[in-house]
Amino acid sequence: MAMWLLSRRELQFRSRRALVAVLVSALVFGIAVAAEGIKRTLSNEPSAFVDSFHADGWVVPRDGSPFTTISVLPASMGAALADTPGVTSVHPVVNGRATIVSGTRQNANLIGYDLADGKGPALTGGRAPKSAHEIAVSSGTGAGIGDKLVTTAGTFEVVGTVDGMRFNASAPTILMTFAGAQRAVLGGQPYAMGFAVNGRPESLPQGTQFSSNEAAAADLGLTIKSATSTIDFITLLTWLVAAGVIGAIVYLAALEQNRNFAILRATGSTGKLIVGSLLVQSLAIAVSAAVLSVPLAFVIRLGMPMPSTLTADSFFRILAVGLVVGCLASIAAVRRALRVSPAEAFGGA
Amino acid sequence: MAVVSIRDLVVEYSSGGYAARPFDHFDLELESGELVVLLGASGCGKSTLLSILGSLLAPTAGSVQIDGQEITHLGGKDLIEYRRHTVGFVFQGFNLIPSLSARENVEMPMLAAGEAKQAARARAEELLALVDLTNRSHHKPGAMSGGQQQRVAIARAIAMSPKLVLADEPTASLDYVQVDGVLRHLRDLAAPGRTVVIATHDERLLPLADRVVELTPKADRAAGRQPERIELAAGQELFRQGDAGELVYEVESGAIVIARELAGGGEEILQIVEPGGYFGELAPMFGLQRAASARGGDVPTVVTGYTLRDFRGRQSTGL
Repeated sequence: MAMWLLSRRELQFRSRRALVAVLVSALVFGIAVAAEGIKRTLSNEPSAFVDSFHADGWVVPRDGSPFTTISVLPASMGAALADTPGVTSVHPVVNGRATIVSGTRQNANLIGYDLADGKGPALTGGRAPKSAHEIAVSSGTGAGIGDKLVTTAGTFEVVGTVDGMRFNASAPTILMTFAGAQRAVLGGQPYAMGFAVNGRPESLPQGTQFSSNEAAAADLGLTIKSATSTIDFITLLTWLVAAGVIGAIVYLAALEQNRNFAILRATGSTGKLIVGSLLVQSLAIAVSAAVLSVPLAFVIRLGMPMPSTLTADSFFRILAVGLVVGCLASIAAVRRALRVSPAEAFGGA
Repeated sequence: MAVVSIRDLVVEYSSGGYAARPFDHFDLELESGELVVLLGASGCGKSTLLSILGSLLAPTAGSVQIDGQEITHLGGKDLIEYRRHTVGFVFQGFNLIPSLSARENVEMPMLAAGEAKQAARARAEELLALVDLTNRSHHKPGAMSGGQQQRVAIARAIAMSPKLVLADEPTASLDYVQVDGVLRHLRDLAAPGRTVVIATHDERLLPLADRVVELTPKADRAAGRQPERIELAAGQELFRQGDAGELVYEVESGAIVIARELAGGGEEILQIVEPGGYFGELAPMFGLQRAASARGGDVPTVVTGYTLRDFRGRQSTGL
């Protein structure tokens, strides 16, 4: 009871300072949540992209991957694969990179895959590309159906849109016909970089291997591993900054309360009461900041050039982080408070 | 039986590297219901003695018993229980917790001791009424006058009905209007079953006291004494650091070594006073304890001790 009363009154007494600590920490927490949302986006993209093909697996050059390798296989291998027992359908794939030069200049993923038979990524608008000059685009290209998209791989007409196909750090994807991609990426040579397979081939052509969707997504995720690790590190730093802000405020308050601690100890309060009071003050600031960071994260996300995926998990995690940060932030103040001698109560104001 | 019994108390600490000993084999007994004023100049050890009685500081040596309980070596739960139930404090400068209201300041020792909120609140209201502050119970210390704050401190001090109330300079920072109320309430605290010890240098409190304990001699205490001729053998001590200082000494023959004891043991020789020289004038002049020890030199020495008045007379006549 005494601990709660003291904590509440101290926070009220220093409410302006506590408010500043809450606001600054909430901003820092909000940045951490939004950054974590970007990491989540980046981490989810590879599997979302690979899954969008609705394949059971991939036949790729040995030690290769359908979307990161530059090794090639004869496109004619597709026909042989289709006849292999266990295989129900085969679709050749070519991948490459291009730079969009119309509008905002930016890199884009270029995927050659025939949508004509209804397999593969689902269209969210328009129709499937039918010729080498037609493409479907994901979000982020700045082009819509009917627009011309000028790229370093050629000029194309947008005839359809697809969803969930951004990868390589949210770069937009240009989906074209297989033949169109062969021409744009491989100079028209009759090669494929892999085959999307439905079913499970009982045997594989020489020089190839079967790659699961998970393996394909994991391979694709390697390209952004350093980026996600960097985000993790920056997130950790932001938590430390929040701990520092709250810790500084609580420590300052503890310094000002030295005489109070001496009085409390002289009048029979235990060290637990004093420690508990500081801990409660620190946790109250940290948890308030964590709660306030939720709406702030949504605002911060609006200003971010990359999509940030905010989920309930993020907010539960930031609450947990708030509790940990609050405990860490109170350590210096608690150490200081426990060093105060009750004899200090004897002294003029 | 005395409620407070201090025997052979020695308190020594380091002050700038030198050994300060405000209490050197000090004895004191206080009875139940007494209001005792510890009178002395700043720095004479009044607050130190209160801290020892409150078991906030441990003495270097000696025994302090409160109601038969030895308190010099209390620790853990015993110490907390002692501070909660046996002793109450009225600190200098009020020392209320500024974030708490008057009532909450009084409640705090009770809540810390585990009393129920409602009971603590009722008792706090009762105590605030006792010090005429019913209508100020919701005010924070910053919104109250010094006298009102000190009355809240008095209410807090007796919240747990202690047998011993210790007040440190309770009238410091108060004007004469506020002093009146505070003194009246302090006087009322001393009743059978409760002893009140007030440390102060404010002589306005003396009429309140059942007993006055002077911790430093008054400057004119030696008035009327005749000059004292003292013969010292080689190395013989004349006075010791921390002793009360009443006389000023002049060296007739031989030499006097003035030395200051160091905190870690040993001494630092400050001065050797030769025939015609004098020493020891500051302690009687300002009512201080001796800041250094004096002893005879390597040969037999003769000094004469004068009262401050006689010494000044000799100075002005050039003797």
